[in-house]
Amino acid sequence: MLMEAILQALRETFPAETIEARAVPIGETFVALPPDCLHPAAQVLVERFDLRHLSTITGQDTGSAIELLYHFWDGGGLTLRTSLPREEPHIATLTDLIPGAAFYEREVCEMLGVTFDGHPDPRALLLPDDWDKEQLPMRMTNDQSIDHPTKRLPDQETHRPND
Amino acid sequence: MTTRPSDYLTKRLTDQMTRITIPIGPQHPALKEPLSFLLTVEGERIVESVLRLGYVHRGIERICQNRNYVQNVHVVERVCGICSHIHTTVYCQGVEALLGLQVPPRALYLRTLLCELERIHSHMLWLGVLAENVGFTTIFMYAWRDREIVLDIMEELSGGRVAHAVNVIGGVRVDVDEPQVDSILMRLDELEQRIETLLGVIQHERTFQVRTRGVGHLSAEQVRRYCVVGPTARASGVDVDMRRDAPYAAYDRLDFRVITAEEGDVWARTMVRVPETIESLHMCQQLLTGLPDGPTTVRARRRVPPGEVVSRAEAPRGELIYYIRSDGSDRPARVKIRTPTLPALSTLPDQLRGVHTADVPAVLAGVDLCIACADR
Repeated sequence: MLMEAILQALRETFPAETIEARAVPIGETFVALPPDCLHPAAQVLVERFDLRHLSTITGQDTGSAIELLYHFWDGGGLTLRTSLPREEPHIATLTDLIPGAAFYEREVCEMLGVTFDGHPDPRALLLPDDWDKEQLPMRMTNDQSIDHPTKRLPDQETHRPND
Repeated sequence: MTTRPSDYLTKRLTDQMTRITIPIGPQHPALKEPLSFLLTVEGERIVESVLRLGYVHRGIERICQNRNYVQNVHVVERVCGICSHIHTTVYCQGVEALLGLQVPPRALYLRTLLCELERIHSHMLWLGVLAENVGFTTIFMYAWRDREIVLDIMEELSGGRVAHAVNVIGGVRVDVDEPQVDSILMRLDELEQRIETLLGVIQHERTFQVRTRGVGHLSAEQVRRYCVVGPTARASGVDVDMRRDAPYAAYDRLDFRVITAEEGDVWARTMVRVPETIESLHMCQQLLTGLPDGPTTVRARRRVPPGEVVSRAEAPRGELIYYIRSDGSDRPARVKIRTPTLPALSTLPDQLRGVHTADVPAVLAGVDLCIACADR
């Protein structure tokens, strides 16, 4: 019920976009949006529905793009999904609406190199101070060189399942 | 105009009470896990604090991408050294949803039983740490002694005191028989009496109240601003609990209360966590007496069809969320973990502002930090 009202409000806010909702287990609704719509969409959630609980932000490198998933919760899960280019990705920060987003954005920034425009404190959250900023641990590299067990354990292939 | 010596002294003292910055951690006797603070103090009061995380960052999310789904059950169990079972529960229920598996009811009951035993052990550990940090060593000793009862039960069930390895994809690997159920129920009764005694002592002990009331205050508004979850949120009057709001495992078949308090200080957090422990004991009793018959596991394929899932549960410290994406192979393409300690940590600068330096350990213990969880 609430999800339908939210979707309706998002469609009214962005008449030019087609907003599709997709059900994902377990009880989660995924909504894909262009990057420049994300901050206004979050504003709709916070100001009109008082939906302020951002569980986390997942960042992932799909190989062709950097995807960000903003997982909200209010009696049911709502995830806003957006795609950024792999070269110099950046997006508006949500910390002005949801101060709790600060840690999640810092982590996405250091792990995937996404710049959050307007973030008050964009220091690294988890990586050491002397970490090479060019090394982005969660980015897919061509050789997958970061600790790939198949390269160190020659018998790994024999453990592959045969179903 | 002459200056009297006393005025001169007062001025000297005020000048010297400028701001001093004290580094605490990452290695420090008052901290149980590595975490670094820069506390700026004016006299005895803290005016500013800067937090530095990452000293136990192990890159578990990346490790998960390089292991298959079965191996990852054991990897995610090692995210946390206290609430290890809830991590495998959330991970397994996510993978089971991707596989479309129906987990047998007996397995769900046993899974939930371990979740609640783990909550009891985690909350009693927390009570001991808090009591020690506010200088109440007797309660620390008693709480940890009584915690052994629940640790013994878990060891009997699974073979491990802390890392249980109970969950497998498709069910659980342990089972209980009739005499074991009776023996566990008997010991849980004893534990309940002991926790009631501890609660009585805490409630009537003036020194404990003086050290915790008004310390580390968080308003309901601050809780919502920082997206805080779990007992810390409930102690500020924000009524959230994933066990009731989004029932998973066997929680929809249980009858329980969600405990809340209004004050939002360390005292309120105690008055949420300790009664919650008793509530968990009652849930364990319901689970053991109503344990359905049947198998404890179903066979799971090792290759997972493409898809994604968001799995949530109530860990001892609050909402735990996993995002898992499968690309159709035997390894997950992405596993994202957000533990309940991370939002709690972001409130610490607010909580520490204006607090006496002597109360810092009480504030830190109050939110039940688990740094290994936060760093992953």
